[in-house]
Amino acid sequence: MVNLLWLQSGGCNGDTISFLNAEQPHVLTALNMLDINLLWHPILSLEIGEEVERIFNKCISRKTKLDVLIVEGAVICGPENSGKYFLSNGRPFKEWIERLAKVSQYTIAIGTCAAFGGIVAAGANLIEATGLQFLRKQKGGALGKDYVSGSGHPVVNVPGCPCHPDWIIETLMRLIMGKLGTGELDNFNRPKAFYKKLAHHGCPRNEFYEFKASATEYSQLGCLFEYLGCKGTLCESDCNERMWLGRTGSCTRAGFPCIACTSPDFPDGSVPFFETRKIGEVPVTLPLDVPKAWYVGMANLAKLATPERLKKNAVSFRRVD
Amino acid sequence: MSKKINLSPFNRVEGDLEIIVEVKDGKVQNAKSRGVMFRGFEMLLKGRDPMDSVVFTPRICGICGVSHGVVSSNAIRNAWKSQMPENAYRVRNIVLAIENLMSHIVHFYALFAPDLTNKKYSMHPGFQELEKRFLPFKGTSYLKSIKARPSMLELMGVFAGKWPNTLVFQPGGVTCSISISRQTKALGLLRELQDYVEESLLGCDIDRWLENRSMDDLDKWLTESNHYDSDLGIYVRYGRELGLDKIGKGPDRFLSYGAYELSEGQTWLPSGYYDRDVYPFNQEKITEYIKYSFLKGYQGGLHPSEGITDPDPDKEGAYSWCKSPRYDDNVIEVGPLARMILDKDSLIYDIFNKSGSGVFLRVLARLHEAVRLVRQLGIWIREIDAREPFNKKPLVHPEAKGLGIIEAARGSLGHWLTIKNGKIERYQVITPTAWNLSPKDSFDQHGACEQALNGTIVEDVDNPIEVGHVVRSFDPCLVCTVHMLRI
Repeated sequence: MVNLLWLQSGGCNGDTISFLNAEQPHVLTALNMLDINLLWHPILSLEIGEEVERIFNKCISRKTKLDVLIVEGAVICGPENSGKYFLSNGRPFKEWIERLAKVSQYTIAIGTCAAFGGIVAAGANLIEATGLQFLRKQKGGALGKDYVSGSGHPVVNVPGCPCHPDWIIETLMRLIMGKLGTGELDNFNRPKAFYKKLAHHGCPRNEFYEFKASATEYSQLGCLFEYLGCKGTLCESDCNERMWLGRTGSCTRAGFPCIACTSPDFPDGSVPFFETRKIGEVPVTLPLDVPKAWYVGMANLAKLATPERLKKNAVSFRRVD
Repeated sequence: MSKKINLSPFNRVEGDLEIIVEVKDGKVQNAKSRGVMFRGFEMLLKGRDPMDSVVFTPRICGICGVSHGVVSSNAIRNAWKSQMPENAYRVRNIVLAIENLMSHIVHFYALFAPDLTNKKYSMHPGFQELEKRFLPFKGTSYLKSIKARPSMLELMGVFAGKWPNTLVFQPGGVTCSISISRQTKALGLLRELQDYVEESLLGCDIDRWLENRSMDDLDKWLTESNHYDSDLGIYVRYGRELGLDKIGKGPDRFLSYGAYELSEGQTWLPSGYYDRDVYPFNQEKITEYIKYSFLKGYQGGLHPSEGITDPDPDKEGAYSWCKSPRYDDNVIEVGPLARMILDKDSLIYDIFNKSGSGVFLRVLARLHEAVRLVRQLGIWIREIDAREPFNKKPLVHPEAKGLGIIEAARGSLGHWLTIKNGKIERYQVITPTAWNLSPKDSFDQHGACEQALNGTIVEDVDNPIEVGHVVRSFDPCLVCTVHMLRI
């Protein structure tokens, strides 16, 4: 049996909602399949008030084995590192996170806020929010750069705004089966299995992308990369292959741009969200692994070869050819 | 004897809530509802591109992000004076309705009904039945509600692509275009959802349920067929036997901004203010107080378009990060019950007039609205015309003021926006939970939920389940409240 404790810190509960959206496997099936005993979850469990602190304290005193600690939401440290912007029964919540992380076998940051600070740490970050072991691209965070959990892993980061439910379940499965060694994590301690791909892969607009047949307004069918701000070619995730919501959709399938929400520097690294920043004619958001000169050459050639069908459909809200 | 009960952390609500009540002679007094977290979205948005609000504000709340997406894009639409094609109104309403429907169902099964299995009711003859259905992770109805979720999620996926945090809403409409293939798929998924609602929740056809237009109709419905044995049948029978209709009466003043825009300025459910009678709603009458909030900078009330936020975590006497919004200086309740009353929905309005508000009716109104939404969704999906456009590119205005007001699952949601030099100068949000779960105001009037708690009889101070019922009947979403954008 695997004891799992889920904490919500400075976030929007969106990752919990996304977790409940799991359907292959279903969230309850997944918990059974992995033999997970949910010690407590703030939205799902019956315990309240003092009973909750009792559960926490049993873990801290190691009377209860804490196999997996999941944190959702950023750690809120402000003002002036006092933690007063988020108190739980009069006590800074960040202290509970720190104490519980000391006794957990695995510590997992679910969502971009818990991993990197995310949306609540945007701009000047006046509330002093941080991820568990990173603040944006900078290692350190609330638990410090040298933190390792009982298993010897750093905090395993599973970002996304929200996190895809499969990423949560599969990370748990890989850890529990011993198939997520530290070598399977990337530079930002994300499982490579999901974050070694690009959101661009599997995008149904790829034919438009290849021939630079671009949408100029939202709701049109063309590629969103050239004018409408899509960061799918930079965003490390498998969204368009995996798909969302019972495999019915994805960002680009619903016509809006990828905003690279799995990136350590989301959201400020993704602005402007809805238009493409360019130097001359060349978007600054070039595909991660394509040399710029080649890209420009290929793009120019592709434009010369664009089929009429694509040109017409790209700027139409429905197929006209 | 007086005992102070501190429920921190509260659970099975969205977000971080503490409830502190004093129980004297078996009755709650001086209830305090405390939002305990501050995320300071106002600081995040000031100085940013107006369109950033469409990305940021849905992330205030994971469960009602669509409503923030709709309302933030509406505020920009209002500021830029842009137009939307007919189809865009339909798609926005569909996505919003799916989110509200999911929220209502999750609220009943995962957040509210588990309390009906509390040990207080162990002597009730229906207790075994309640446990069999509603126990978290085990109850048959609890499990069915989770298993029914994919049809709603897939329906969401067809229109919104991803959820939470879809970006489908734009000031000129929506980013998706709905082909007849997608329309077909959506209608199929809706049919599956309807099957679930009819088989498990209602035990009858939606049309049959909607024939219930009074309390008498409802009681008659219970005696027909196997209706008494559906989840709603069980709730209507046992809810009253357990005394849920006797607790949780709120201020009995209700507000709705108007829900589901059908075309410019017209809504499916009407706006209005109820105080023994229905009056037109005027957003100018909204003010916010901070006497008991961890905020400083002004005294008295301010309209949200002029709101000030300056955090002060050590403020003497303060007990919540939430401001206290008031309408014409009155404490009001928002949410499905308010919407149904302002719509003069025959069933809910009749029960309200006969037996007043309270936990029982608040929860019934939410489920009843969910049923009405299932039917309305089918109408809107059919009304989409795949040959017509879904978006109209707006003209950007660098200096403008905008207002977006809608009804989210939990009630009235408003965004007030000022744009200067093409950047956000001021952004103010008042969430439904700010209305319902606010602390006291400058006149020392308790917030709506606090009022509903005061006077509640608690049988066992070591098991204050009555407090749980009352608080959860409002479906509070504290991630919203305490992360309100205040500038």
